[in-house]
Amino acid sequence: MTSAAQGAKAKMPELDSGRRRRAALTFISRYGTIIGLLAMICFFAINAPGTFLSRANFLNILSQASLTAIISAGLTFTLVVGEFDLSIGNVASFIGLVVAGLMAKEHLPIPLAVALALLVGIVIGLVNGFLVTKVRINAVIATIGVGTMLTGLGFSYSAFPIAIGIPRAFTEISLGRALFGVPNPVFIMAALLIVMWTILNKTDLGQRMQAVGSNIEAARLSGIRVDRTKMFAFATAGFCAALTGVLLTSLLGSGTLAAADGYLLDAFAAVFLGSATLREGQFHIAGTLIGVLILAVGFNGLSIFGAPTYFQPIFKGGVLVLAVGLSSLARRYASAS
Amino acid sequence: MVSEAAGVSAVRGDPGANGIPEAWIEIRDLGKHFSGEVALRDVDMGVVRGEVHGLVGANGAGKSTLIRCLAGVTVPDEGKILVAGEELRLGSPQASERAGLAFIHQELNLVPHFSALQNMLLGAPKATRLGLIDWKRSSRPARAAAERVGIKFPLDAKVSDLSVGERWLVMISKALVREASLIAMDEPTAALSGPESEQLFSIIRDLAASGVAILYVSHRLDEVLDLCDRITVFRDGQVVDRAARGSLDKRGLIRAIVGHDVKGAEGRRRIQPDRSSVPLFSARDVARGPAVKGVSFDVYRGEILALGGLVGSGRTEVARLAFGVDRLQRGHFEMNGKRLTIGSESEAIELGVVLVPEERRSQGLLLEQSVAFNINIASLQSLRVVDILPFLSSRKMRSQAHRLIRDLGVKTPSPSTKVASLSGGNQQKSMIARWLRPNTKLLILDEPSRGVDIGAREEIHETLRKLALSGVGVIVISSDVEELAILADRVVVMREGHVVGELAGDAITEARIVEMSYHEVDPQGERT
Repeated sequence: MTSAAQGAKAKMPELDSGRRRRAALTFISRYGTIIGLLAMICFFAINAPGTFLSRANFLNILSQASLTAIISAGLTFTLVVGEFDLSIGNVASFIGLVVAGLMAKEHLPIPLAVALALLVGIVIGLVNGFLVTKVRINAVIATIGVGTMLTGLGFSYSAFPIAIGIPRAFTEISLGRALFGVPNPVFIMAALLIVMWTILNKTDLGQRMQAVGSNIEAARLSGIRVDRTKMFAFATAGFCAALTGVLLTSLLGSGTLAAADGYLLDAFAAVFLGSATLREGQFHIAGTLIGVLILAVGFNGLSIFGAPTYFQPIFKGGVLVLAVGLSSLARRYASAS
Repeated sequence: MVSEAAGVSAVRGDPGANGIPEAWIEIRDLGKHFSGEVALRDVDMGVVRGEVHGLVGANGAGKSTLIRCLAGVTVPDEGKILVAGEELRLGSPQASERAGLAFIHQELNLVPHFSALQNMLLGAPKATRLGLIDWKRSSRPARAAAERVGIKFPLDAKVSDLSVGERWLVMISKALVREASLIAMDEPTAALSGPESEQLFSIIRDLAASGVAILYVSHRLDEVLDLCDRITVFRDGQVVDRAARGSLDKRGLIRAIVGHDVKGAEGRRRIQPDRSSVPLFSARDVARGPAVKGVSFDVYRGEILALGGLVGSGRTEVARLAFGVDRLQRGHFEMNGKRLTIGSESEAIELGVVLVPEERRSQGLLLEQSVAFNINIASLQSLRVVDILPFLSSRKMRSQAHRLIRDLGVKTPSPSTKVASLSGGNQQKSMIARWLRPNTKLLILDEPSRGVDIGAREEIHETLRKLALSGVGVIVISSDVEELAILADRVVVMREGHVVGELAGDAITEARIVEMSYHEVDPQGERT
């Protein structure tokens, strides 16, 4: 036994290079995104210390990131249960229009208008969930269909931006700074992410969501009500998209057709970047936040350096491809080890 | 291609210059470590053309790693492999295929919606005409191969419509199309019925007689002893025994695999339930579709009831009905004499009826999750900090996982290790651990020791006996007749959707179970 152990030890150097490469790959697949974020921050800090490294700019980044983070967190839940939601951008746009209309056209008080708008978001999410789990339509198709219908509905409701009649107090939700001069959406994001992180990691529901996402058949045979779990994830995505829409309308001071459609791509890029962070290919809230920050810092840096506008979609698309690539690589290494 | 053609003439272990058959494949000093653990060490072995060479050993003993090295999927750390005297380029699946090595894994890598013919020709060079595939000419070798293995079904049948046995024939033909000189088979009979297995054995013998070498990996020792010309036994990554046909019996083989003696069925006391008491769980004329045509049986508290019979006799389907996976079309289940309605898996679990399913990896395990996650997933409600709030207590989760890992002897580096990295036996123990909830009254296990090594199987049996002693009813479904004979207090034998008989006490013998399983299908069904 001892001689064998010594023999194994003697062979160690030969093995070392392979193992070191493996360890390096594992390290990159776990911390690559975080390192990328830090590297980006350092780069901008060194090259544009005055503009980038200011409190005002950091608050600006956080405030821009907060809406993306909220909608991405909802998307994260649907991906955790192994589904997709491509309607979130359309939902956010539609709800942004609805909440504006409820106040400006129907003259509802702000809290009621917001509550109704969020409720509609949840209902849309439940419709998505119903189509996917009960009617068994592929999630990609079902949510594209629902999203497209919402665009049409929004158009029929108001083809023009609804700006007149939106109370000032409503715009204060996004523009106000309740504490330390930090914009309100940052607090809303923080609160929501904490709640969602807790649900995913510290409740039975969250454990069941993860189980459904990793092996639906095994989850069902463990007594998990799979359809209900998925419905919850879709409802959450609907709620988060609606909240994003409400905050965006508050930020812009108007409800505008298709205003939030662009969040869909950002959210996907962020969530997939996040899944390549820390946990090797699994979707999770903390990772999503990192992904969102990478996007926000990147956009911020691009505008500070005066990159032409056409560069933004190039960056966004590039990050999306890179993110999904990293995520699938991470998953491959996770299954190989 | 040229070297292969030359090799074919050297059929059936032609004696070399010194009278010893020259090995077609020579494995020299092969070694492989995975993250510091030895998977293979100093493995030397040779495979001769025309022999059936058995590889046996517990899970994790090194058989699969060896096969993976041969297939070029895993790169060994040291040693070399020679094919017909030429060194094989390691770590290249293409090189292995060119050298004439073919591999048939349990999962059978076939494209389900392709025809048998398309699957056989997948990746093989095809004859073309004006740039298009000339199917008639291309399919000639496939048709020849199909004839050689005795395929009766039409080759344009979709693979998804074929039985597992027929799919095996497709895989073997696929190997023959590539003019394979060695075919490695991993647990070929795990999912085959008795007659299908017999057919496979005769094909294997024919192939060997025509000069193909077969590497036969199996946990079913009777088969290995019956079929193989030579057997190589692995333990802890090393070759611990080599035996030629007839030089080793089953007991000796088990001793070599485990490293010590294992007690068999002899002298075991079977529990006789008190038939006058109310049964714990009963099936009353349950039926669904063509698979289950009116099945009744009772399970008493504290006994292990085995459902015997062939694959396809309806046993798995009965288990699925009891667990609420499928809906009953007729009949009902009873618990303690009271009629049950089981509408879903979660309702069954609530009632205390649980199932460890047949396909561990696809139906049971959450492979990317940890051992602890897999164990705790079915009892999350009891792991809350406070009953009424949905928050989980990490302390309770940790301590339950620790306790069950210890109680069942799950060998894992830690509870947070990914369950995918455990051996089959330890994965199965994790599955059983999942259901050891205080509420569990009836535990149903479908093929509990498929792909489980013999040592772990013994431990699982021990656990099941203890569970039964504690008052739980246990139903075991197994195609391994030996397992039923060892484990069961009572055996209910099914055939074609019906219960055909019941055995208890000393009447439980392997021969008797097999006889009842086959009776009508095959009048001389008594195998030994």
